[in-house]
Amino acid sequence: MRTGTAAFLFCVLIAVHLLTLEEAEQARKTLPTGDGGTYVIPGPIAKILALEFDGLASDWYFLRALVFEGGTYERKEKPRVKSWEWKWFYDMLDSATALDPYFQDPYLLGNSHLTWEAHMIRETNSLLEKGNQHRDWDWLLPFYIGFNNFYFLHDNERAAEYLAEASKRPGPSEQLASLASRLAYKEKKTENAIIFLEVIAKKTEDEKLKKEFETRLKALKIRLLLERAVVSYKQKYHALPPKLRSLVTKGIITEIPADPYGGYFSLDTLGEIMSTSDDKLLPQQKRQ
Amino acid sequence: MTVYWPLALLTFKEGIRNRALYGISLIAFLFLGANVLISGSAMREIGKVAVDMALSTISFTGLLLVLFIGINLMAKDLDKRTIYMVLSRPISRPQYIVGKFFGMALLIVVTIAVLSVFGMLSIIIEKWAYPDYFPRFFWGPIFLAVLFAALSLILLSAVSFFFASFSSSSFLTLILTIMAYIIGQSLSDVKALVEAPQTAGITVSPVTHIIVQAAYYLFPNLSLFDLKIQAAHGLAVSPSYVGWTALYGLAYTCLMLFFAALIFRKKEFP
Amino acid sequence: MNVITYTGVSKKFKSWPRGKSIQALDDFSLSIEQGEVFGFLGPNGAGKSTAIKILINLIYPDKGSATLLGEDVKNRRIRRSIGYLPENPFFYDHLSAEELLWFGGKTSGLKSQDIRTRSAELLRRVDLTNVSKRPLRTYSKGMVQRAGLALALIHDPEVVILDEPMSGLDPIGRKMVGDIITELKQRGKTVFFSSHILTDIERFCDRAGFLISGRLRVVDRISSLLAGGSTLEDIFLSEVKKAGGGSEL
Repeated sequence: MRTGTAAFLFCVLIAVHLLTLEEAEQARKTLPTGDGGTYVIPGPIAKILALEFDGLASDWYFLRALVFEGGTYERKEKPRVKSWEWKWFYDMLDSATALDPYFQDPYLLGNSHLTWEAHMIRETNSLLEKGNQHRDWDWLLPFYIGFNNFYFLHDNERAAEYLAEASKRPGPSEQLASLASRLAYKEKKTENAIIFLEVIAKKTEDEKLKKEFETRLKALKIRLLLERAVVSYKQKYHALPPKLRSLVTKGIITEIPADPYGGYFSLDTLGEIMSTSDDKLLPQQKRQ
Repeated sequence: MTVYWPLALLTFKEGIRNRALYGISLIAFLFLGANVLISGSAMREIGKVAVDMALSTISFTGLLLVLFIGINLMAKDLDKRTIYMVLSRPISRPQYIVGKFFGMALLIVVTIAVLSVFGMLSIIIEKWAYPDYFPRFFWGPIFLAVLFAALSLILLSAVSFFFASFSSSSFLTLILTIMAYIIGQSLSDVKALVEAPQTAGITVSPVTHIIVQAAYYLFPNLSLFDLKIQAAHGLAVSPSYVGWTALYGLAYTCLMLFFAALIFRKKEFP
Repeated sequence: MNVITYTGVSKKFKSWPRGKSIQALDDFSLSIEQGEVFGFLGPNGAGKSTAIKILINLIYPDKGSATLLGEDVKNRRIRRSIGYLPENPFFYDHLSAEELLWFGGKTSGLKSQDIRTRSAELLRRVDLTNVSKRPLRTYSKGMVQRAGLALALIHDPEVVILDEPMSGLDPIGRKMVGDIITELKQRGKTVFFSSHILTDIERFCDRAGFLISGRLRVVDRISSLLAGGSTLEDIFLSEVKKAGGGSEL
């Protein structure tokens, strides 16, 4: 073959190589990926298949779950993540922690999303419980189980138990112990929630999640303000205010602050503060 | 015992001069380089991932060494008739097996030592880059994990010697050793699953139960030597565990060599 | 004193797939005295290598026994006193001749200093000094053969067993080996070697034996064999005819 022909052929082949690679790559992006719906190998079987590479396999499962979750923020549709996808997400983290139950990241990742967004409270707690038993030096896990029991399951007793456990581990022991004792007082619900969330917000590193917690805290502080105003009114007038506006007209507070979730505050028949945006703040309020 | 050292050294030289070692080393360096890139993607426990990668690379590379260079050491002797050169010295067949094994063990120890230097380097680089993300990091458990990885490979090598003593082809020895490795690593987990099958939603017949029990005592329990998770999380390993496991490894290794020597005594070289 | 004895040794080999068996040695008995140079003759496949390998304990006899320097060949220690060069030897080709001799010397119980001295001497003797540090895989067939000879002699054995020692050697190499055999004889060593090259057997050996189809036919002093005017070749061919046909292979 003459050099000229060979050179020409070479250039053509390189061009074809680059072009087809580019096209194939673009086309692949339109294919559905498995993540979010593929079969997740259950923990005990994954342990067998991973041979001596359990740690690495758990890293792999966790990273897949992490990447999937991050990728969902590009989506436009609501709900952002479907319920079977949350199930997949949970299973991935469950298998990751079956392979390495000491790995903290899957527990924290699961807890950040599966309670607030997926409403899988009990499943999340059982996941965290696995970590709680193994990571016996880690106060965060029993703390989060305690929070979930308090905030979502309205089980103050359980919450206090877990907080007490957390306070025995190295960390902010005093703070946790005092919060545990506060939980005995059901009336202090909003205040306790604020204390909890301030700890959580401080511990959260993800910027998106941090902002969400700050909004929640703002909403809860406003509720606390309104609740205290209702108590002042009761003390002064020995009766519940007929409507929320009364707090302003009677001069207890200067104005009804705006709901950061854009809802509309009102008073229910028992004198509890309600908002049309309650679903966002206290997801399981009505369902329990 | 003047025969063991020259025989071990001969075997060691053969292994270290094997061209395949270059390929295996390349794989190891690629993985360790990847460690520096990959472990940063973890959320909080970057240290854990870095240690996982480094230790897994060391174990995997060691496995390649035992399977592809180790098995060839015995097989080549018989294929290329170099065994005449050894057995015509005042060396008995059992001494041949033991001497070659010492050489193989030396090869494993040296290779693992070199690999672990590079493995530790990749961990140190990560630690320097992300100092806050290394919770509970102690060098002790990491060194112990590397030591036990070496012991595990030495044990597997003894098993391969046993197979090679009666197998007619090196390929068969390779397959049998791979099977022993897979069974050895998964046995504890299989036993756990069979004793609590509901955790994976399956049922297990009593026959399977018995087979697994029998296999558990017959095959080498390699997973006992896997301390990677302990190393990744800085968990303590009790001295009694270390002692008993090391003793188990020693006993099983001697058993394998004993049988290999016994079978090899019958072998003739026409 | 009998340095090598075979007593009623028989060995049968089964050909695996078809089960056809070959009687490699049949009631083979032989004694060789100290200081003798004994030549072992016979057609290909007659059993010469088998007989030699039995002495090295590489093959086990079905019947009978063999001894070296009065010890049963199964005793590994007796191999300190023998040197063996197999037919078409194979060595670990990553080793250099020096490393090869170090291995041979050390396993036979020599001290490092002695190995160094003797290696230098032997390598000079077999003309491998210039290449002694190069790996054996770079050697020609002749050079490998010479290295093998050095390996067989590194520990100054009493008995030297050579299986076709001249194969692959050019005339210079053949002279070298011949000279070595002569030297060994002068030093009172016993040499047992098999060969096809009848002129070599005539030249170096005191006695010779013909092994045909596993049986030892003639064993006699060279001088006696040649006395009647026939050559070794004549005797060879007539014995083969008597045994009933040519070589098995």
